[in-house]
Amino acid sequence: MNGKDHALVVESTERLLDVLRDRLDLKGVKEGCGTGDCGTCTVIMDGRLVNSCLVLAVQARDKKITTIEGVGTREKLHPVQKALMKYGAAQCGFCTPAMVLAGKNLVDHNPSPSKEEIKEAISGVLCRCTGYYKIIDAIHDAAKEISEVRS
Amino acid sequence: MTETAAVQKLREAQRFTLVGKRIQRLDALDKVLGLPLYTSDIVPKDALRVKVVRSSVPHALIKRVNTQAAREMPGVLAVLTAEDIPGINEAYALLPDRPLLASKKVRCHGEAIAVVAAGDSETAEEAADRISVEYERLPIVTSPVEAMKPDSLLVHDSGNVAKYLRVRKGDVKEGFRQADVIIENTYKTQFQDPAPLEPEVGMAWVEKDGSVTCVGSMQTPFYVQTGVAKVLGLSPDKVRVIQATTGGAFGPKSDEMPVDTCAISAMVAQKTGKPAILAYTRDESMIAHTKRHPFVITLKTGAKNDGRLTASEALVVSDTGAYASLGPLVIIRACFHATGPYVIPHVKTDAYCMYTNNTMAGSFRGFGSPQVHFAAESQMDELAKKLDMDPLDLRLKNILRPGMLTATSQLVDEACSLEECTKRATETSGWRKKRLEFSRDRGPFRRGIGIALMYHGNSLGPEGSDYAYVHMLIKPDAKIVVRTALTEYGTGAISGLAQVAAETLGLPIHLFELDRPDTASCQETGPTVASRVMVIGGRAAQIAAQKLKEKLLNVASDSLHCEPSKLTIRDEQVSHVDDPKRAVSFQKVVEECYKRHISLTETGYYVAPKCEFESENSQGTTYLQYTYGAVVAEVQVDMELGVVKPAKITAAYDAGRAINPLSVEGQIEGGTIQGLGYGLTEQLVHLGGMVANPTLGDYYIPTSLDIPEIQTIIVEYPGAIGPFGAKAMGEPPVDLPAAALANAVAQTIGSRIFDLPITAEKVLFAMKRKR
Repeated sequence: MNGKDHALVVESTERLLDVLRDRLDLKGVKEGCGTGDCGTCTVIMDGRLVNSCLVLAVQARDKKITTIEGVGTREKLHPVQKALMKYGAAQCGFCTPAMVLAGKNLVDHNPSPSKEEIKEAISGVLCRCTGYYKIIDAIHDAAKEISEVRS
Repeated sequence: MTETAAVQKLREAQRFTLVGKRIQRLDALDKVLGLPLYTSDIVPKDALRVKVVRSSVPHALIKRVNTQAAREMPGVLAVLTAEDIPGINEAYALLPDRPLLASKKVRCHGEAIAVVAAGDSETAEEAADRISVEYERLPIVTSPVEAMKPDSLLVHDSGNVAKYLRVRKGDVKEGFRQADVIIENTYKTQFQDPAPLEPEVGMAWVEKDGSVTCVGSMQTPFYVQTGVAKVLGLSPDKVRVIQATTGGAFGPKSDEMPVDTCAISAMVAQKTGKPAILAYTRDESMIAHTKRHPFVITLKTGAKNDGRLTASEALVVSDTGAYASLGPLVIIRACFHATGPYVIPHVKTDAYCMYTNNTMAGSFRGFGSPQVHFAAESQMDELAKKLDMDPLDLRLKNILRPGMLTATSQLVDEACSLEECTKRATETSGWRKKRLEFSRDRGPFRRGIGIALMYHGNSLGPEGSDYAYVHMLIKPDAKIVVRTALTEYGTGAISGLAQVAAETLGLPIHLFELDRPDTASCQETGPTVASRVMVIGGRAAQIAAQKLKEKLLNVASDSLHCEPSKLTIRDEQVSHVDDPKRAVSFQKVVEECYKRHISLTETGYYVAPKCEFESENSQGTTYLQYTYGAVVAEVQVDMELGVVKPAKITAAYDAGRAINPLSVEGQIEGGTIQGLGYGLTEQLVHLGGMVANPTLGDYYIPTSLDIPEIQTIIVEYPGAIGPFGAKAMGEPPVDLPAAALANAVAQTIGSRIFDLPITAEKVLFAMKRKR
């Protein structure tokens, strides 16, 4: 979990979302519907985006999980976070943690995504404020920055 | 360019350091780190979870509410019905129609009847399931037009009309006599769900002195304070309301639901002595909260052969559901804008807000404007077709320009930029070329292009008294705190207030901090609605900043030995205008103020002039300034399947003055996509009064894969009211996309769809009708 091991005894019916929020106090994970439709509870599990409301906590055993709390700090932001700020891509902020994770996971796997690939990558997370444009531009910009740093 | 000399002069006269700059919002850093605390993120460990039992029928007498089984369940700490309400069982916003908890009768799906609380959600949910309600079913009326008939059943004893108003200008009979062409059509719109990503949530606890504190997701804390106090039977000063970070709102969080969530939690807290939280599930939110009103609009329009409009007659009927909420105000805006942004000498509009047994409609971004613009702009294209004119030419012949009169006979001022917005949108999109080119498309995929124009009366206008308080204080560390009960729920407008203050003070934005809206530390400041934060709140922020500036300059003038009028603030220095080296740092001036016990706390209060109009026929000044805009939409239609793919939107809006262009673009882009959903996919279906699709799986809000290419154009014709000329930009972008898309589809398939949303099924039917 964000680079740290956690040993927890969980109920067989407990959702990963509730374990993250209520037991590990990772409040950056949001619940917008509880039915896997909105994607605000998205986390990265073993390199894949999952809706943590649809994952049972037991399914996360021995898995590597990243939440927004494991991405960037005030002092050292992830390039995706920096770009989202620059583009004014966070409005109400409720989908933002999921968008950051979707963007980060994409650039982790695909260092130079096209705008179409970015749209695809964030399509599981709904945003009702921005119309997605600034989020897409920001992730595009972040990927370019990451590629430049690498080369 | 149609810009007048006066506008140009004003433009050149102002040189800004911060206004007009693309700056990062003050909450941006916290938001990208996931740090802001929304209501559900700050629930105390011992808080009780509250669940509401809601009506499962659309209209019935309640014969019995059996709570025994729930009360006997282990772990259940409170079961409340209407009888348990300590104060008054009312939760309405305008008309005295809605109880907080129904006891005798339910009039729609999802009405709250009983409340249960337990230590965990599962227990509370199960207890809620164990409450049984016995109903005696009543017949229903679900069409607002049916509800107008004299023999219709009555939803409320007072009658089905929640509000009627009219516009009369000139003599409409004479206008139709002068017309060479007359067309008449009926347009219909659907329930649109606002679907903020954070559903409604409220939390409450009782303080040691018996007063109550509420924290919740909301737009207007003082409305919640009044509402909760009434339900609890307390005086409002015994109820403190704090707005937590709010995950989107779009209207319903200014209406009645935040009162419900906070009042119900507060009742539980009073009863049990424990903090309590009521968080709506998504389906509960979609059923219970207010949505965009469905409208039925019949338009009769007359024109000369050359395209000049002579008369408009409109019947505008809205469905406010079983309870009025803000429906009586929504219908005012709809009525005044029903002709579209055109000069029409003879106007007759009758507007009715009707009760039905559908769920409650109320505030939603646009507030009656998207519905009437869809109708008016579809009608303009139908008229153009009848006259065999280009839709753009027809519009340019009739649009509002400075010196002309609106439907309410308001004189259009020099800040009217409709012509420029239209030109910019059509030239940028290549309208004329594409209109011709697309009309030649053959084969299974064909393209179309449509246009729509709008005007949007700013702020409250006829909807209420329009004022704002903004408090500002400079702390000893020279940080400036902006505090107001106007709220942030996504738009960035509160950050914009800081930007206005920073411009006024000549200080950098990084010195500013935003405080949490709290009834205990802010003046009552009217609702956070109607895109009024920047226009009205911005003026209050300017005033507060100006007062602080005078104090700072006065103190600095002593140490710099000159008149305050000779001083300016720049680069965190107070310096002499003629000799910038004669300077003292802002920090030092603040220290000096503290040393001399000069208060650096100020309040800016701004009250807008009253809109003066004659109410019988609605003639006069209905709004103090207008936002104008033009949208061109391009689509591709699958002629075999009827599927409409939006290809490109070109949107030109007059922001008056874009305080922060980054935020203005954000509003245009977000509003466009919300409007696109309204046009193509979103419909909260009611079947026999019951909401059939209250999930985000069955109700389709656009995803990142559904959005077209977008081109935004910001036009700036400074308005008379807003700070530095700013005009409302929160709501207007949602007004036009559906209309522009409808016109693009009509061009493509050669047949019109008169009701939203434009689904593939309707496209196929429309094509069939044509053949």
